[in-house]
Amino acid sequence: MKLRTLTAAGVAAALLALAGCGGGSENSGADGPIDLRMTIWSANAKHAALFDQIAAAYKKDHPEIGKITFEAIPIDNYTTTLTTQIGGGNVPDLAWILESTAPDFVTSGALAPIDKDADLLPSATANWEQDGQLYAYPFSTSPLGVFVNTDLVTAAGRPTPAQQIAAGTWNWEQAAATGAAVQAKTGKGGIVVGDFDFKGWDTLNSIWAGWGARPWSEDGKSCGFDSPEMVDAMTFVHKLVFTDKAMPGPGVTKDFYAGDAAMVLTQISRAALLEKAKFKWDLVPLPKGQAGEYSVVGQAGIGVLKRGEHVDAAKQFLAYFTNQENSAKLAQFFPPPRKSQLTTETLAKANPLLKPAQLQSVVIDGIERGDIKTSHTGYAELQQTVRAALDPLWKPDADVKAVLSGVCAKINPLLSK
Amino acid sequence: MTLLAEKPASVLRRPPERAPYWTMRRRDQLAGWLMVAPQLAGIVAFVIVPLGLVVWYSLHEWNVLAGTFDYVGGENYQALLDDPRLGPALRATGLFSAGLVVLNLSLALFLAVLLNQKLRGTVVFRTLFFSPVVVTLVAWTIVWGFLLQDNGGINGFLDLVGIDGPNWLRGDTTAMISVIVVQLFKNVGLNMVLFLAALQGVPAELYEAARIDGASAWARFRRVTVPLISPTILLTSILTIVGSLQVFAQIAVLTQGGPGTSTTVLVYYLYQQAFQFHHFGYGATISLLLFVIVLALTVLQWRMRKRWVFHEA
Amino acid sequence: MKLKLTVYAVLLVCCVPFVFPTWWMATTSLKPVNEIFAFPPALWPRDATLDAYRQVFELQPFAQQYVNSLYIAIVVTAGTLVVSSLAGYAFARVPFRGSGVVFVIVLAGLLVPNEVTIIPLYRMFDGLGLVNTHWPLILIPILGAPSVLATFIMRQFFITLPRELEEAGRVDGLGRFGLFWQVSLPLAKPAIGAVAIFTFLHSWNLFLEPIVFLSSKEKFTIPQALTQYVDAYGGALWNVQLAAATMSALPVLIVFVLAQRQFVEGLAQAGLKG
Repeated sequence: MKLRTLTAAGVAAALLALAGCGGGSENSGADGPIDLRMTIWSANAKHAALFDQIAAAYKKDHPEIGKITFEAIPIDNYTTTLTTQIGGGNVPDLAWILESTAPDFVTSGALAPIDKDADLLPSATANWEQDGQLYAYPFSTSPLGVFVNTDLVTAAGRPTPAQQIAAGTWNWEQAAATGAAVQAKTGKGGIVVGDFDFKGWDTLNSIWAGWGARPWSEDGKSCGFDSPEMVDAMTFVHKLVFTDKAMPGPGVTKDFYAGDAAMVLTQISRAALLEKAKFKWDLVPLPKGQAGEYSVVGQAGIGVLKRGEHVDAAKQFLAYFTNQENSAKLAQFFPPPRKSQLTTETLAKANPLLKPAQLQSVVIDGIERGDIKTSHTGYAELQQTVRAALDPLWKPDADVKAVLSGVCAKINPLLSK
Repeated sequence: MTLLAEKPASVLRRPPERAPYWTMRRRDQLAGWLMVAPQLAGIVAFVIVPLGLVVWYSLHEWNVLAGTFDYVGGENYQALLDDPRLGPALRATGLFSAGLVVLNLSLALFLAVLLNQKLRGTVVFRTLFFSPVVVTLVAWTIVWGFLLQDNGGINGFLDLVGIDGPNWLRGDTTAMISVIVVQLFKNVGLNMVLFLAALQGVPAELYEAARIDGASAWARFRRVTVPLISPTILLTSILTIVGSLQVFAQIAVLTQGGPGTSTTVLVYYLYQQAFQFHHFGYGATISLLLFVIVLALTVLQWRMRKRWVFHEA
Repeated sequence: MKLKLTVYAVLLVCCVPFVFPTWWMATTSLKPVNEIFAFPPALWPRDATLDAYRQVFELQPFAQQYVNSLYIAIVVTAGTLVVSSLAGYAFARVPFRGSGVVFVIVLAGLLVPNEVTIIPLYRMFDGLGLVNTHWPLILIPILGAPSVLATFIMRQFFITLPRELEEAGRVDGLGRFGLFWQVSLPLAKPAIGAVAIFTFLHSWNLFLEPIVFLSSKEKFTIPQALTQYVDAYGGALWNVQLAAATMSALPVLIVFVLAQRQFVEGLAQAGLKG
């Protein structure tokens, strides 16, 4: 008898505990101070200091705001962790969003619409809009450029890209020859595509855009990997790696910032990493491709989560965080999407490592005519599927055309979804 | 009042050997339940109920971003059956688990036998073999990631001996081997110590007797050692198999499931679907499949133990 | 003699894959970045620098994170020992109705990968307001799936204890808890040692759970902190990462080296019975 009562009591207690677990997180304090949380992927101390400084200034004029926290999540797991938080019901008020996942966030209705400042460049906001509404502020609009280790290039007996630009010969053939010469003569790496590592294939758009190639059509419905432009571009990349040996092969890491490679294709904001560089370096626009001059822009946005607890407060803070004055401050790390701030003057103040001419040719011209990196809804799945299907390409004897048709076969079902 | 008056009398009349209500048996009922209560409550709250929820999720299409949660019945299960990626994932899982279990148990036993020789300095070796177990898993994996690079430490070493090493993490087969080996050296020390303990528990007289009977070293190992340490073999093999089916951090750090999908094991595929592709309902369905596989394998091993495990209670 | 030499030679060769990665980790953390990818890799840094170690503490509250990992692992180990020794003992020695069924239910915990239940668990702890606290990292291992292995080991140990020991205790008038506490538990030191090490290491290595449950730097644990050593753009700071990794591994290694005799010999006693 006793035993049974005990069991019953135990079960009841367990159920109660669970009920407690399942229910009631709706205790959003009615009048207490409003705490805001923004998820970011930078763990950089200088960034954090600037954000905290902006937040502190905001709180001075807004007594209703309690704490503003910037929660750094490593970029590798960023979207995953953010989604887990949202799925678990712990929705941040604001979140940084990677350009590649922009369509997922914008079309799913996860974000609340925000006000569009007339100063924002239309080319910068296109990726973050739906039906004329802006869903995230593209706080970082960073063109890709080529950082060059001029010491290595000269040591390999090649003209520097700057000289080639002056001579009008700065194209991919020449860049490949320089990369090959450096790798052959100095044993250092030639051309590195930042964050590529033979996995992040989408970073290769800094090359194939020069051939006019796209991974899929504008409307996202049909595959572009088997297009003649893409086949040409990828054949060039394959040759770059395996024949010319102008790009470090798969499984080989060459750190440009440590002086181990001749060139790196990456966001201009990485100039900060060259602060202590022991070699001479330059920043130049992407070389001319087969389809002429081109430029590619990488982006990140800040959105307000619709299911966050304080949507209006978050919107107000976002407006402040990205207003003229603060945008100018942020510009030292993140190139601004504002027409008024895209002047060599403003940018030079924020990027002391770069010369005005570099800023003009790479940043300002780049942003104005730049192709935004390709994105798509369900991007993560596409990313992984293409990655897996593209792996056979990274072998010396690969059949480029066959591999690329294979990629299309794999992603067509996803594109037609 | 009458009742009260009667009762002591009846007690008195009762023969003294009449057992009290709280017999050892009854006490054991209570004590047993009390002792397992915290564990049971924990399992119910942190495993059974969440597992039930996962089943519930598996019947839904859950878009975490949009905040929609729609009942779809068996659609996820049908999708699982039709998924062309499931076959390769199961194959990778099988290869990884089989490779790891075989290598792990053999190497652990081999090292344990070596260390069980009465030699000077075995304590040092034992410590060295065990040391990776206490190195943080993430740190260990990151380090191997460097060493396995095409221009990394392993190929540098092979270069010295005149071998042109493969690009370990970029070939289908070598990537799988790499992932297995990284996990192997990380944890084999644990099984080695368990085996060593078991070996030291084998009475020396038995070996002596076998030797007198003229048994060779191999025969002594087969007929004396293996049967006597079979309970440990059972324990280690269950733990290693269950652990191998849950391998995650190594794959995430070293190969991300590639090249192609050659190292996309079931757990990694589950992780991709649920956490990267945001198909949580579908991820839940895959996780149930994983659960069923683990369950089946364990039950099978447990059933088979009577066949080969010596003096199991 | 020849045999002895062979055994030593084999042991030495076998050591390489166990020792070299740790060696490389420790020495490389002293190298400047441009030496890390040198080919062939050097066994010793050319220009040793402690710069990376300084940065480990500059970039993150590493000392605090260390304390977090340590105290969580200790609490989890102590809690698991209590829960698992009680449950393991009951399953092995106490005949109670339903014990078989309960055992199977508990064993299920061993079979559910943590990736499977992480979202429902996250929702539960969020409902209790315990996200971004250390509670999930303490409660789940002590009571949930990870403790099942401990209970299993304890049960396997208790089951081998000779019945006569407890009979003697019973004659002395000990109840069930008395038998457990005064007779069986003291004999279970080897199993306790094994469980303590398993549990400590499991908690110390936990990766997915901290990433999911914790969000502020001061609350991070070590494995999670290791992945946070990146430059402003998410590029890994290799040498800093390796310095932090070295610091995460060395103290535990040293403790292990000092205590390994007790640990292994404790297990050996367990081996006598198991």
